[in-house]
Amino acid sequence: MKSVTIVKRSTLLPHLLLGFYALVVIVPVLNMVLMSFKSYAEILRFPLGLPSRWHWENYLSAWTKGNLGQLLANTLLVGLASTALVLVCGSMAAYVIARFAFRGNQPIYLTFMAGMALPVQMLAIPMFVVMRQLSLIDNLLSLILAYSAAGLAFSVFLLVNFVRSIPRELDEAAYIDGAGPGAIFVQIILPLLRPALTTVGVFQFVAAWNGFFFPLVFIQDPEHMTVTVGVLSFVGQYGTEWDLLLPALVIVMIPTILVFVFASKQFTRNIAAGAVKM
Amino acid sequence: MVFIAAFLAPALVLYGVFILYAIANSIRFSLYNWTGLGDLGAFVGLANYEFVLWSGSLSSQFWVALGHNFYFFAITLALISVGGLAVAFALTLVRESKAQIYKTIFFIPMVIPPIVVAYLWGMYLDPNSGALSVILRSLHLTMINLPYLGLQATALPTIAVITVWSSLGLYIFIFIPAINNVPAEIIEAAKVDGAGAVRTFFSIVFPNILPTYITVTALVFVAAFGAFDLIYILEGPGAGPDFSTDTIATLFFRSAFGSTQGGASTGMSLAAAMAILGFIVVIGVSAILIALQRRAARQAGEVR
Repeated sequence: MKSVTIVKRSTLLPHLLLGFYALVVIVPVLNMVLMSFKSYAEILRFPLGLPSRWHWENYLSAWTKGNLGQLLANTLLVGLASTALVLVCGSMAAYVIARFAFRGNQPIYLTFMAGMALPVQMLAIPMFVVMRQLSLIDNLLSLILAYSAAGLAFSVFLLVNFVRSIPRELDEAAYIDGAGPGAIFVQIILPLLRPALTTVGVFQFVAAWNGFFFPLVFIQDPEHMTVTVGVLSFVGQYGTEWDLLLPALVIVMIPTILVFVFASKQFTRNIAAGAVKM
Repeated sequence: MVFIAAFLAPALVLYGVFILYAIANSIRFSLYNWTGLGDLGAFVGLANYEFVLWSGSLSSQFWVALGHNFYFFAITLALISVGGLAVAFALTLVRESKAQIYKTIFFIPMVIPPIVVAYLWGMYLDPNSGALSVILRSLHLTMINLPYLGLQATALPTIAVITVWSSLGLYIFIFIPAINNVPAEIIEAAKVDGAGAVRTFFSIVFPNILPTYITVTALVFVAAFGAFDLIYILEGPGAGPDFSTDTIATLFFRSAFGSTQGGASTGMSLAAAMAILGFIVVIGVSAILIALQRRAARQAGEVR
C-alpha cells in the first residue's frame, strides 16, 4: 500500500510543474495565431481569446503587401543551400579528423571547436569587407556563406564525435575488401551518420532561417532580403500594422516548427548526446 | 595525404575565409585608424584599445555595456538553473511516453525566429493594449501594470526573461540525459532512506550532474555575450530606454554600422577593437569554465 502512495506523490507534482510550463510555452504562441485572424481594432482592444470574426483576408493582404512570396523564397534558398553546404563540408572534414592521424589533426579540430564560443556577429566588419571585395553585398550568396561558416563549428564538433562512435572494425573490414577511403566514407560512414546529419541539418536550417543579424548587415535591397528582416516593413514610423505583421510572423515561424516536429525524435536524442560528451 | 587534404579543404576554406581570416582582419583593423572606406589609414598601435578602455565617452559606454552582458548572464543563468533543472528533473520522474509529448512542446520556442519571439512578447507587454495589461487590469492589479520594456530598471531583465522563455528547451534537453545517467542504485538508496524528490535532487542528483551544469553555464555565457536580436528589435539600435539595454553586441553594431537613432558611427577601427576585447572576455571565461568542467567530470568519475 505504501509504495502506491509514493508513486502517486512522486508523479503528481512533476505533472503539475510540467503541465504549467507547457501552458507557459504554448498559450502565448496559440494566442498569437488567434490574434493574427482579428481585425486591427480587435487586436488592440481584445488581445486575448478567439476572434469575433475570422479575418482570413489578413493573410492575403500580408502576403501581397509584404511581398512575402519573394522574401520566403529568398529565405528558403539561404536555409537549404547553407544546410547542404554544411552537411557536405562538415561530414567530409569530420570523417578525416575522426579517422586519420595526420599532422595538425588536433589543432584543426580545436580550431573548429573554439568557434562555438565566438559571438559570430562581432566578426561582421571583416566579413562585410570580404563580402564587398567579392561583390556579394545585396546577394543571397553572402548569407549562405556567412551562415555556413558560422554553423561549421558546431557541426564539425558534433559529427566528429559521432564518427568516433562508429566501430572502426566496419572501416577496416571494407578496407580489407579493397575499398578506398572515399568509398568507405560514402558506403559505410555516411549511412551510419544519418541521425547526426539530421540533427546538424535541422540546427543549420533553423539557424539560417531564423537569422536576423547577417541580412541586417549584408542586404539592403528589399528584393534580396530574407523574411525575418523583411517583415519589419510592417513596422512603420507611426505605428505597427499588427493585422499584417501578425499573419506574417505566423507564416515565418511555421517552416521551422514543421521541420522540428518532423525531425524531433532523432533530434532531441542527439543534441543531448553531443552535449554530454563535451 | 592528398585525400585527407581534399576532404578537409571545403570546410577549411569556408571556415578559414569567413571566420579565421575575419578574426585576423579584426585584429588588423583595430590597429589602424580606419573609417570603413578607402585604405586603412594611419597605424595607431593599441590606441584604439586604450580609447575603448580608458578614455573618452566611448569607454564609459563600453564598461556599461560589458556590465549589462554580465547582468544579463546572471539573470538568464539563474532562471535556467532553477527552471531548467526543475523541469528536466520532473521529466525524468514521469512515464517516458508522456515525457516525450512534453519534450516536443518545450522545444518549440527554441525554433521560433527571434523576430517572432520579440514581437510576440513586445505585443503582450504593451502597457496600453497588451494581453498582460488586460489581465492585470481585470484583476485590479494596475499598480504592477508597468511598461516593462520601457523602463530603465526593468527593460534588460524583461528581455532576459524572454530570452529564457525562448531558449530553455535546449538546456532542458542537455540536463535530461545527465540526470538519467545518475546511477539508479544511489537514487534508490536515497529513497529507501526516506528522502523525497527534492531532497534526492539536491543531495544526489545535482552533485552528480555538476559537469553538465558547468557546460550549460558556459553555453549560457556565450549566448549572453552574443545578446543582440531581441534587444535590437524591441529597443532599437540605440538599445533604449537611454542605453539601459546596451550590450557589447549592440554597441559594436552601432559603432561599426552607425545609426541615426543611436548616435553617430564611431568608426570601424574602434568597433573592431571592441570586438577583440569581447572575444578575449568570452574565450577567457569559457576556458575557465571548461577547465572547471573537466575537473568536475574527473571528480564525478572518481566518486563513482
